[in-house]
Amino acid sequence: MLELIKANLGLILATAGAVVAAAGGILGSAIGVGIAGEAAAGLVSEQPERFGNALVLQLLPGTQGIYGLVVAVFIALQAGLLPGGAVEVTVAQGWRFFFAAFPMALGGLVSAIHQARVSASGINTIGKKPEEFGHCMLMASMVETYAIFSLLISMLLIFGV
Amino acid sequence: MIVSMKRLTLVGIRQEEADILKALQKAGAVELISVSADDDGGEGARRLDETAERISRFSESLSAIKPYAKKPGFLAPTREEKLEKMQQDVGEAEAASEHIRTILEEKKQIDARLEKDATTLAALVPWADMKQDMASVTSTKYTHCFVGLVDAAAEAAIREQEAISAEFYGEAGNRAAVLACLKEDARLVAGFLKTINWTDVIFPRMKGTPREAMAALEQDMAAGEKRLAELQTELESCGVNAAVLENAADALLIERDNLAAETQVEKDTSVFRLEGWVRSDEVDKVEQAIRSVTEDYYTEYRDPAEDEVPPAVLKNDTFITPFESLITLYSLPDARAIDATPYMTPFYIFLFGIMLSDTGYGLILSLGAWLFLKLKKPTGGLKGLATVLFWGGVSTMIWGVLIGTFFGLDYDVLLGTKDVFPLLIDPTSNPVGMLLFCLLLGIIHLSCGHLIKMKMCLGQKDWQSAVFDNLSWVFILIGVVLAALPMASGFFDPPLNLSWFTALHLDTVGLVLLLAGSAMILLFKGRDKKNPISRLASGFGGIYGATSYLSDILSYARLLALGIATGYLAMVFNTLCSMLMGGSGVMKVVGFLIAVVLLIALHMFSIAINTLGSFVHCARLQYVEFFSKFYEAGGRAFKPLQYKTKHVQISK
Repeated sequence: MLELIKANLGLILATAGAVVAAAGGILGSAIGVGIAGEAAAGLVSEQPERFGNALVLQLLPGTQGIYGLVVAVFIALQAGLLPGGAVEVTVAQGWRFFFAAFPMALGGLVSAIHQARVSASGINTIGKKPEEFGHCMLMASMVETYAIFSLLISMLLIFGV
Repeated sequence: MIVSMKRLTLVGIRQEEADILKALQKAGAVELISVSADDDGGEGARRLDETAERISRFSESLSAIKPYAKKPGFLAPTREEKLEKMQQDVGEAEAASEHIRTILEEKKQIDARLEKDATTLAALVPWADMKQDMASVTSTKYTHCFVGLVDAAAEAAIREQEAISAEFYGEAGNRAAVLACLKEDARLVAGFLKTINWTDVIFPRMKGTPREAMAALEQDMAAGEKRLAELQTELESCGVNAAVLENAADALLIERDNLAAETQVEKDTSVFRLEGWVRSDEVDKVEQAIRSVTEDYYTEYRDPAEDEVPPAVLKNDTFITPFESLITLYSLPDARAIDATPYMTPFYIFLFGIMLSDTGYGLILSLGAWLFLKLKKPTGGLKGLATVLFWGGVSTMIWGVLIGTFFGLDYDVLLGTKDVFPLLIDPTSNPVGMLLFCLLLGIIHLSCGHLIKMKMCLGQKDWQSAVFDNLSWVFILIGVVLAALPMASGFFDPPLNLSWFTALHLDTVGLVLLLAGSAMILLFKGRDKKNPISRLASGFGGIYGATSYLSDILSYARLLALGIATGYLAMVFNTLCSMLMGGSGVMKVVGFLIAVVLLIALHMFSIAINTLGSFVHCARLQYVEFFSKFYEAGGRAFKPLQYKTKHVQISK
C-alpha cells in the first residue's frame, strides 16, 4: 500500500489539489447562494415583482463555484488526470499543483460567503429602494474581485508547473 | 452630452389651468417646481388622496384576479391602449372592482368562520362521549360544577376525594372531566385542582351534547367550504375584467399625477403661475402644447441660476443612447459636469467582449437580445440594457476569434488549421502574455480617463490642473509601458519583434516621460502652497498616489480571469457531453440525444452566468477605474409631468 502511494504521490497530490480547489469554491458558493437566496425569498414574499433583480443579486456569489471548477479542471488537464491524458507527474510537481489550488480554495470560500452577505443586504435594500439595484450589484461585485484574483493566481501558478 | 435646461415660468388664466396642465402632461416636457402657497384649504390634497385610494382599490382587485386573467404570451410586448378608452373604462372597472371586493370580503369572513369552527371542533373532541346536554352541565343551588381537562395520571387522585363526584371522558393521555361538589367545598376543591394541573374548560354556546355540537360544526364547515368553492369560481370568472381594471388603474394614475401637478401651481381667483424645468430643445414642444389650448398666456424661459439645481438630461445619437442606461445604473452626472456616455461606450463594448470571449456565446447573446428587442419592444432602461448586451455580443464574437473559442471548442480543431487560432493571443497557452495585454488595455483606459479630465480642465481655462494633475499621469502611465515593453516582450509567443522600437529608442523616451511626469507631480502637486516644504510634501503625497494606480491597473487582470473562466467552463461541458456520446449501438443514439439536450442546457447556463459576470465587471471597470479619473456624479433625474403608466402603454 505504502509503496503504491509512494509510486503515485505526484498524481495523488495533484488530485488532492484539484479536489481542494473545487471544494473551496463550490462550498463557498453553495453557502453564499444560500444566504442570498434566503434574503431573496423574503423579498419576493412581499414584492414578487422584484424577483428578477433579487435573482441577479442571488446569483452573484455563485461564480466562485465556477472558478473553483475551472481551477480543478485546469489542474486535471495539466496533470493528466482526465481520461486519455496520462502525463508523468513528479512528486515536486504534485506538491506545486497541490499548493497552487489554495488561493482559489480559500479565496473562493471566504469571498463567496462575504459577497453573499453584501448581496443579501442589497436584496433588502432594493425592497425599499428599487432604484439602488445598480449600486447594490456593484458593491457585491467589489467582493468578487478577490475571487477573481484568487482564480488568476491559482491559474498562473498551475501554468508555471 | 448633457442637455441644457431652461427654467420656465408660465402665467395663464385660471379657467384654463386644468386644460393647460392636461396638454402639458400629454407633451411630457415640463418638470414642475412647487410654487403653491397651498391655500385651497386642502381641497387639492383631498382629491389626490381620493384618487390614490381608488388606484390602490383597483390594484388590490387586480392582483386578486390576475392569476385567472388571460396571460400575455412570453415576450409579448406591453399592451397599447388609447387614453380615451382607458378613461371610459373607469366606470366599468369601479363596478368590477366592487364586485371583486365583495367576493374577497366574503371569502375572508368564511375563512375566519372555518378557522373558528375548526378550533371549536378540536376542543370538543375529548368530550365526544359525554351524553349530557352541554348547557345542562352547570352549577346548581347547592352544588358547584367544574369542567376541565386533566392529566390521566391525576384521575385516581380525584376519585379518591370523597367530596368530589367525577365523570371522565376521552382518551387516556388527557382526560376530559366533569366534577361536582357541594357549594361549601368549592373553594377547597378548587385549591386541590390547582395542585394537579387542572385546566378549566368553557363549553361553546351550542345546543345539545358535544357529539351533536360537533356534527353541527362539521355541517357548518361543509357549507362554508361549498360557498368558498362557489366564490372561487366567481372570482375566476372575474379574470376577464383584468384588462379593464388595468386600463382604469393607469387612467387614474395619469389623473393622479395631474392632480399632484395642480397642487404645485400657484393660483388666485383669476390667474395661475406655474414654474418648472424644460429641456432647451423642447421649448417649442411646450409652446405648442399650451397654444393647442389657448392664446392667452405668458411664458418666460431663462437659464438656471447659480444656486438652482436643474435635472441632468442626457442626449446622444442612436448608437450611444442605449449606453445611457449604464450611466443611470451608476449615477447621473452633475448637471453642470459632462456626460460620460460617449466616452464609455467604445470601452464598454471593447472590454465586454474580452471577458466573454467566445464567438458562440456572443452569437447567442446578440441573437437573444435582438429577438427580445424585436418581440417584446421594451422601453426605457430595459431597452437600453438589451441593446448594450446586443453590442456586447457582437464584440464577444470578434474577440472569440482573436483570443477565444467557439462554444468552448478550439477554432484550430473546428477548422482543421494548425496553430492559427486564436489570432491574437491564446490565453490558455500564454496566460502571462494575455495578462500583460489586459493590463496594457487598462493603462490605455485610465489614460483616456485623464485625457477627458484634461479636456474638462482646459474647457474651464484651468491649464494648471490639466497639465500637472492629469497630463503628468498620462506621461507616467505611457512611460511605464514604453520602458517596460522590452522586458515584457519575452512573455509573448513568439516574442514581440522590437527592432523598430529599439531603433527609435522608445524605451528611453518612456523613461524620460516617466521622469517628467513624476517631476511634474513632485514639484507642482502642491502649487497652491506657499511653504516650499509643505509643497514638496504634497508632491510626495501625489507620487504615493501611484499605489492606487497600481491597484487600478491590476484590476484589469479580471479581463483575463473571466475570459479563462468562460473558456474552461464551456470546455468542461463539452468534455462531459462527449463522454456520453462514447457508447455503442442503441446506447450511442440514447447517449447522443441526452448529450445534445444536456449541451444546450449547460451552455445556456454558462452564457447566463458568464454574461452576468461580464456585464457587472465591465461596468465596474468603467465606474470604479475609469470614472474616478474624471466623472462628477450626483445629478438628479428629469421627471417631467407625463403619461406614466404601470400596465399599458398609451398609443398615440
